[in-house]
Amino acid sequence: MDLIRKKRAEAVNRIISKGYLSTKRVYVGMATCEIAAGSKEVMAIFQDAIAKGLTDVYLSQKGCAGRCNLEPTVEVVEEGKVPVKYGLVTPERAREIIERHLKKGEIIQEWVI
Amino acid sequence: MSDKQYKLTFCDGSGCLKNQAREFRRVFEEELQRQQLQQNVQMHLSGCLGMCGKGPILIVNPGYIMYGHLRLEDASEIVREHLVNGRPVSRLIIQEDHLYNRFFRIFGDSEFFGRQMRIALRNCGVIDPEKIDDYLAMRGYEALAKVLTEMTPQQVIEEVKKSGLRGRGGAGFPTGLKWEYTAKQSDPEKYVICNADEGDPGAFMDRSAIEGDPHTVLEGMIIGGYAIGSRQGIIYIRAEYPLAVQRLKKAIEDARREGFLGERILGTDFSFDIRICLGAGAFVCGEETALIYSIEGARGMPRPRPPYPSVSGLFGKPTLINNVETWANIPVIIIDGADWFSRIGTATSKGTKVFALAGKVRNTGLVETPMGTTLRDIVFGIGGGIPNGKKFKAVQTGGPSGGCLPEQYLDTQIDYESLAKAGSIMGSGGMIVIDEDSCMVRMARFFVEFTQDESCGKCTPCREGTKRMLEILTRITRGQGRPGDIEKLERLGTMIQKASLCGLGQSAPNPVLSTLRNFREEYEEHIHQKKCRSHECTALLTYVVQDNCVGCGACKRVCPVNAVSGNRKEKHTIDPKLCIKCGQCYDACKFNAIAKV
Repeated sequence: MDLIRKKRAEAVNRIISKGYLSTKRVYVGMATCEIAAGSKEVMAIFQDAIAKGLTDVYLSQKGCAGRCNLEPTVEVVEEGKVPVKYGLVTPERAREIIERHLKKGEIIQEWVI
Repeated sequence: MSDKQYKLTFCDGSGCLKNQAREFRRVFEEELQRQQLQQNVQMHLSGCLGMCGKGPILIVNPGYIMYGHLRLEDASEIVREHLVNGRPVSRLIIQEDHLYNRFFRIFGDSEFFGRQMRIALRNCGVIDPEKIDDYLAMRGYEALAKVLTEMTPQQVIEEVKKSGLRGRGGAGFPTGLKWEYTAKQSDPEKYVICNADEGDPGAFMDRSAIEGDPHTVLEGMIIGGYAIGSRQGIIYIRAEYPLAVQRLKKAIEDARREGFLGERILGTDFSFDIRICLGAGAFVCGEETALIYSIEGARGMPRPRPPYPSVSGLFGKPTLINNVETWANIPVIIIDGADWFSRIGTATSKGTKVFALAGKVRNTGLVETPMGTTLRDIVFGIGGGIPNGKKFKAVQTGGPSGGCLPEQYLDTQIDYESLAKAGSIMGSGGMIVIDEDSCMVRMARFFVEFTQDESCGKCTPCREGTKRMLEILTRITRGQGRPGDIEKLERLGTMIQKASLCGLGQSAPNPVLSTLRNFREEYEEHIHQKKCRSHECTALLTYVVQDNCVGCGACKRVCPVNAVSGNRKEKHTIDPKLCIKCGQCYDACKFNAIAKV
């Protein structure tokens, strides 16, 4: 049991060292269904933005949450705030999420699930 | 979602309702009104949150602050201190560190997710499935460590038995008993198999579970291996799921590296490893004996049982086979306890079930709810009802082995027994909603075509019987139904049920028999009046131009066989002899002047 606790603590540390405590965590759905709906392109937009200097963002993929007709989905989670879930995210919407939400903190209500 | 400052989630499960949850909510709403805060908060109801002993429960977001054991007089304090002054009321906060419902922290405040309870899918959509660190951070492999260091195999089996967990693959056999039978065999060589051969049309629960959280399946299997004394696990998964296979492979490698798989797991004497076996996608290989043959390299065909795989399975050795969802439940049962697990659900069916909700429903998707939730709650609550103002006709559960349940069964509480009593089955969890535009005969024909196509051909009732049924159904949908066809279908159906070798054959006639029972008048209309009320059977419908035709000529232009005639600005006509019923004129008409009759 101690071993598993140690392993968990190490895992948590590794996740934190990758920037988990950044102000905003972005999760992009990457299951077969989400990829079919175009989530790879969406993921690429976020990766590209980070490569080009977007900071304070922890980007991760996730499995399918089960919201089929609104895929691809993207969540923006911020400590102390209500998690925001976007549906039907296209590359254009992803760019706008980066500009308006990630950079300026504006929640784009029309796309929220 | 809105600019509301706070999101409040009230548990609306039956346990909380017994503890005055509704009264609490009423008092709370009054208090909000008094303080004129209604504009600042958004209120949600959740399904059972599984903390029935601590109800009523209120979750306040942001911050995911959970209040429990609430009494009516606490309402004003929470409103005043938390919502007005921004100071959470610490004496009422409860701390929960259970495994289930983790996803609630992110998804709990939306209508679709909030009414669910997630055990098997607890991490799906929450963690990165390709990072073992993410799984570890969610107390991953803690159940395994607990089992290896604090429990004997017998205690593990007792715990699973006590939980009341039943097989999620369809048949619903008590999981703990299966484990016990396999553990009792004295053969030193035993196998553990995960059945991920998901073949029902429209079902994708297992794929999503593996793609979203592969480690939980591995952890469940390793625990199973420890309980029955096995060293080797096999995941039988269809090759059509490449991403799921890739993530499983990665998960297995990571687990080996971290010492959760392989020799001397976590420094104990227990060794266990898992390999993947790819299936070619035959529906019948989801049947356990056929699946075992397929792994052995033989043709996938069922054999009579007994002996059951628990006695003589893979390579003649005792074998424990469970479905993906069943395995995913195991770590939660170990950590959160069988006592907790057995409180969720109905008298005979415990825990939750994952459904793939599809068809004519607003919110399609994966739904995990406690057993005992009604079909109405799923279709109209979580599913959001039927789109485009159409009327509900039926819900099909259990895929090609299941049945269609019409409106009068909507308040059926879902569990293995009640669905069987209503004339359908739980199955692996496919749920297709049908609206008034769908023809039930065609629906039945679709499923029989599937089972006929997938029949392995070993036993005559299934091989020949489904073929004959399909012929009759095809005839009926083409307008060539004869008197006596219904009786013939019923006789054939009952014969196939009784005489087929495996579960797939025995359940193949269910879609036909259940629609015959509940929608017999549609069959009769097809046969005697040559009419299909939902206008889906093209052979039974005629396109007619009505009097409101303005003679614009749009239909004439699109008709591929020149069946439409008429002068400009005069009513057109369709020649039924030439019409091939492609429906293009119907779609092209801007004046709704063409009708299907």
